[in-house]
Amino acid sequence: MANDTNVGGPILKSQTVKHRPRTEDFKHTFKLFIKNELAFVGFVIVLVYFAIAILDYVYPSYLGVRNIDTVASWVPQLASGVPGAPTLAHGWWYIFGETEYFAPIFPVMLAALKTDITYSVAIVITGVLIGTILGTLSGYFGKLYDEVLMRITDIFFSVPTLVLAIAVTTVLGKSLTNVVIALIIIWWPIYARLTRGVSLSIKSNKFVEAATASGSSGLRNVFVHVLPNVLSVVFVQFSLDLGSIVQLFAALDFIGFNQGSPLLPEIGNMLTWGTTYLVAGIWWPIVIPGIFLLIFTVAINLMGDGLRDVLDPKLRR
Amino acid sequence: MILPSAVDWMELRYFILRRILLLIPTILGLSIFMFILIEAVPKAILVTPYINPHVQIPYIIQEQNALKLLGFNYPPPIAYLFYLDRLFHGDLGLMSMPGYPNSVSAAIIDALPNTIQLTIFASIVSIAIAIPLGTYIGARPNSVADQASRVFSLTGYAIPAFWLALLLQLALGKGTIFGNPFGVLPISGSYNPSLIPYPAPSWFVNGYTDPTHLVIFDSLIHGDIPLFFDALEHIVLPVLTLTYGLLAGILRFMRAGMVDASNQEYVKTARSKGVPEKLVIKKHIRKNAMIPTVTVMGLLVAGLLGGVVLVEYVFSYPGMGYLTTQGILSYQVWLIIGTTLVFGLILVMTNLVVDVVYALTDPRIRY
Amino acid sequence: MMQNSEGTKSDSDVYLRVEKLKTQFFTSRGIVKALDEVNLNIKKGEIFGLVGESGCGKSVTAQSIMYLVPDPPGRIVSGKIYVGNVNMLIGLDRLAKITIKSETNVKIKRNKRLIKRHNYLLSKIRGDRISMIFQEPTLALNPVLRVGDQISENIMLHLKIEMANAILRREMATRKDYESFVQKVFSIGDKDQRGKEILDWCENYSISDAEELVGNIFLTYQDPETIIKSLEFIVNERKSGTDINRLSRARDYYVYQQKLFEATLKLMEAEANGRQDEIESAKYELNEAKREGGTFLSFRVINIFMRRRIEAPLRDAAKRRVIELLTLVNISEPERAAISYPHELSGGMQQRVMIAMALASSPQMLIADEPTTALDVTTQAQILDLIRNLNRQMGSSVLFITHDLAVIAQMCNRVGVMYAGNIVEEADVNTIFDNPKHPYTIGLLRALPRADRIAGKMVKLDTVAGTVPNLITPPSGCRFHPRCKFKMDICEQKKPELDDLGGGHKVACFLYQEPGGSTQ
Ligand SMILES: Nc1ncnc2c1ncn2[C@@H]1O[C@H](COP(=O)(O)OP(=O)(O)OP(=O)(O)O)[C@@H](O)[C@H]1O
Ligand code: SF4
Ligand SMILES: [Mg+2]
Repeated sequence: MANDTNVGGPILKSQTVKHRPRTEDFKHTFKLFIKNELAFVGFVIVLVYFAIAILDYVYPSYLGVRNIDTVASWVPQLASGVPGAPTLAHGWWYIFGETEYFAPIFPVMLAALKTDITYSVAIVITGVLIGTILGTLSGYFGKLYDEVLMRITDIFFSVPTLVLAIAVTTVLGKSLTNVVIALIIIWWPIYARLTRGVSLSIKSNKFVEAATASGSSGLRNVFVHVLPNVLSVVFVQFSLDLGSIVQLFAALDFIGFNQGSPLLPEIGNMLTWGTTYLVAGIWWPIVIPGIFLLIFTVAINLMGDGLRDVLDPKLRR
Repeated sequence: MILPSAVDWMELRYFILRRILLLIPTILGLSIFMFILIEAVPKAILVTPYINPHVQIPYIIQEQNALKLLGFNYPPPIAYLFYLDRLFHGDLGLMSMPGYPNSVSAAIIDALPNTIQLTIFASIVSIAIAIPLGTYIGARPNSVADQASRVFSLTGYAIPAFWLALLLQLALGKGTIFGNPFGVLPISGSYNPSLIPYPAPSWFVNGYTDPTHLVIFDSLIHGDIPLFFDALEHIVLPVLTLTYGLLAGILRFMRAGMVDASNQEYVKTARSKGVPEKLVIKKHIRKNAMIPTVTVMGLLVAGLLGGVVLVEYVFSYPGMGYLTTQGILSYQVWLIIGTTLVFGLILVMTNLVVDVVYALTDPRIRY
Repeated sequence: MMQNSEGTKSDSDVYLRVEKLKTQFFTSRGIVKALDEVNLNIKKGEIFGLVGESGCGKSVTAQSIMYLVPDPPGRIVSGKIYVGNVNMLIGLDRLAKITIKSETNVKIKRNKRLIKRHNYLLSKIRGDRISMIFQEPTLALNPVLRVGDQISENIMLHLKIEMANAILRREMATRKDYESFVQKVFSIGDKDQRGKEILDWCENYSISDAEELVGNIFLTYQDPETIIKSLEFIVNERKSGTDINRLSRARDYYVYQQKLFEATLKLMEAEANGRQDEIESAKYELNEAKREGGTFLSFRVINIFMRRRIEAPLRDAAKRRVIELLTLVNISEPERAAISYPHELSGGMQQRVMIAMALASSPQMLIADEPTTALDVTTQAQILDLIRNLNRQMGSSVLFITHDLAVIAQMCNRVGVMYAGNIVEEADVNTIFDNPKHPYTIGLLRALPRADRIAGKMVKLDTVAGTVPNLITPPSGCRFHPRCKFKMDICEQKKPELDDLGGGHKVACFLYQEPGGSTQ
């Protein structure tokens, strides 16, 4: 019976995180990860997206549209009056048709990926840094510091993310830079909570207790024992959040924070352009950018779930 | 040793009371947070709606008066107390947007029912579908139905709500794609204004209806059946959009919970008693599978409230989310802070309810 | 009955008979041949002990008997399990088609319709004729259901007809009934006989907690009139306004369901035998039984809406029985225990609850898979005592699984020794300890500290050298041969059969049999 029971374990059982050495066999993890085909496909797609973004920085001319000014300067190619439908007759730039300002969707889309990925990565990385440091310290030192930090994060969690982002951005002033700052401000508590939990459970680990008993200092302990373990959990959350942040960023741009930069190639902005022609039944300016966004978030989720399966010590068998 | 039984109603009452008391610091914290946001805004913008250009009082004087009224002539901690005092009196500040009342609270009171209506409809539809479907799928892991639902869950989780709303407008909206036989549903507003006779009936007050502020219910109450069906049509697409994401979320956890619970030892016990397979699933597995689902319900509702803002924006559905986005356009700080606060209160209340439901579903929770 | 036609000896004393049970796990690493043709015979009222090292397949045996092997990965591949006279594995080979391409590539095609029918059969046998106590009471009880509800679930599943009958008898009882009863009782001289008669009567009228009262009446009063009045009072008090018509209708419906089940079972047996004429007649009978269902149509419709009300008197009776059962397993505050959740009880209590649950519908056969391993020593002894007493009182058989020979010695009548998926020796408990035959059994007993040896001085305990073999690639022939001191050439080639040495002492070892005589 011992073999087949309690495989998943009751949800409520407190999960203890095993301390694993830093020289953890990375290859093995990667092999496990690749075994999960869906996760691997997701991983590849995400890589492609990042490659596009990077390529856009290095060789912008390969990918057509580069900046705000050029977007507005397109000459209608396909039809008069309204954006032209997808066609291959004018080269592959027009494969997805035209959007507002008669810009070809495909190259603008690629440029938009650069914008969105850059901003999102910047947001998540900053959030991770702030959150992880605060959370780890909080879990490790506990007491008043911990209490205060948790109450502060409580407040952040008591408002829906999007609404909070709207409020903070409005207060900071309506611009995309402020959207980025606002998203950082509201995103760090997630990581603070996460890392606090992990570092708490590691702190109660016999191993760290022993290290403390043998006289190594608290801060050293944090870096030697807690951080490496926290990082794998954070990494999973990071990869999953990238999808949410891209969406959130696009959504904020979509609902009206694009006023400062109405011509910026960005997915939310492109959707705003598309809505102009919604009632005319012109679907491609709406459908195409959304599909690019959807593929990215699906891929991110697949990858993140796969990563969690191999990195989460609770699930790893 | 036998401990007292878990669901003791007296104890539950104390539990709820304690949870409500615990809300107070959270709500105070929320108000402090909102106040910090207000403080970060230039004073000139804050006082704008308090200034009446039509009266013969110089701007400077009016501004001084407004600052004094709002308590901003004191240091921030005192100003916060002024703010808190105004909150207690239901005063969320002023706004000036054409077609809306001057008072933020009044505008929110007009819009709130619509938002609540959307979220509740979406929740009911999602839960009503997700629980039986999750039970069915969770009992048959890796079947065709399960694979299909995984795809559904994945896209539902990943699909941006506002894009889905646009897609639905294209696919099912009246007058978008020419000749689309499915394009039968209205794509904006909560009712068709041309159905309202001129002058509007007395229960149409400032474009909002009496007594519930919900066109669907008020038209029924006042016996206006065409308007009722029209309002019903208007709610379909927004609710559908919201349902997709929520349903996917609940389904995902429900399935995981089912699979996890069916591997537990007590399921073997149930079978060893001769419980028929159907009952094993319904009674023994599902009851346990609900527990993880309930725990994430708070998170899902938070997502839903975010989604409702986008959905209302796309469908111009006159709820709080739409109000907020209108506020962005014309920079109504008091309005946006006000709606944020109200959204926060709704979420806090929902979490309270979720906690209580959780305590009721899992007898192991001590309260 | 039908098993006679298959040429097996019908021993009317035997309640559980397991024949050539073969269970395998189809894992990604290969096929685990966990059980290799296990044979078991357990007599009525007997406690049969099953011992063996960890991983030898004791739990798999128990789960196979209950048909609880987790699927996937496990499946019973072949064999028969007779509980009473019903084969739990009827039509087993048609439930799923197993195509073995290689050790790691196995395709299993399940027949959903037949599996559904088989589940139906199982649900009628499990809990009713045979039930099981698990090793970990903490995991085996459903955390979100009250203990009482979990026990009464079993009762409501299997004892509806009996309960309905008892309630109807009581509700329809007249003064005359008591009078004649009292007259009869007074005519009995023997005190014990009289007590038994009274208990039977109470049982008959489903008066559980009145037993004591009735007993007192007979001790103190001698006047029949008074007694009749008291009885009437007790019985009347119970006349709770139950709708007799509806209840009797419900009873008829349950009886009809039972009939349907029996007809289905017959059909399944016929199909397993493969005789066309039998199948035809069984089908005809089933259809006849189904036709009767038409008369229950309106009841079924009402039952959908009013099930709770219709079953209310039954549930009350079940509740009373739960309390009785909890008292029976020595729980001090049965009323309170019944309304508590599993996590509110201690481990020992939980195991008592498990036992009460297993006994709820008085099964003839009880399987206990290491019921005390998770408990502390004192509780362990109490639980063992409890199982022994219950076995004596209720006369049901017990399959007692443990790896503790000391427990076997104090609990069991007969013992089976298991090694790597085979029963290698089976005998009376005394014979096993005094005169073990199989080299593995001898090794096991050597490892046991015994009083007579310890009395000498420090005795170094022997253990059986080596470890349990990997069951994906088990040793050929006798699975014990890599560890056996007496290994012969034949042991590697042939599998020894379980042969009777006389007096029910069976051994599967070539040391004790003509190597030529047994077949593969
Ligand atoms: N779900 C499963 N998947 C694969 N193999 C299994 C599974 N369950 C049991 N087995 C195998 O069946 C064999 C018998 O296991 P079983 O649990 O019956 O041992 P046991 O005699 O009960 O041991 P213990 O005393 O430890 O309970 C073992 O070799 C085990 O590997
Ligand atoms: S059959 Fe041979 S190997 Fe097996 S136990 Fe007997 S002597 Fe040993
Ligand atoms: Mg076992």
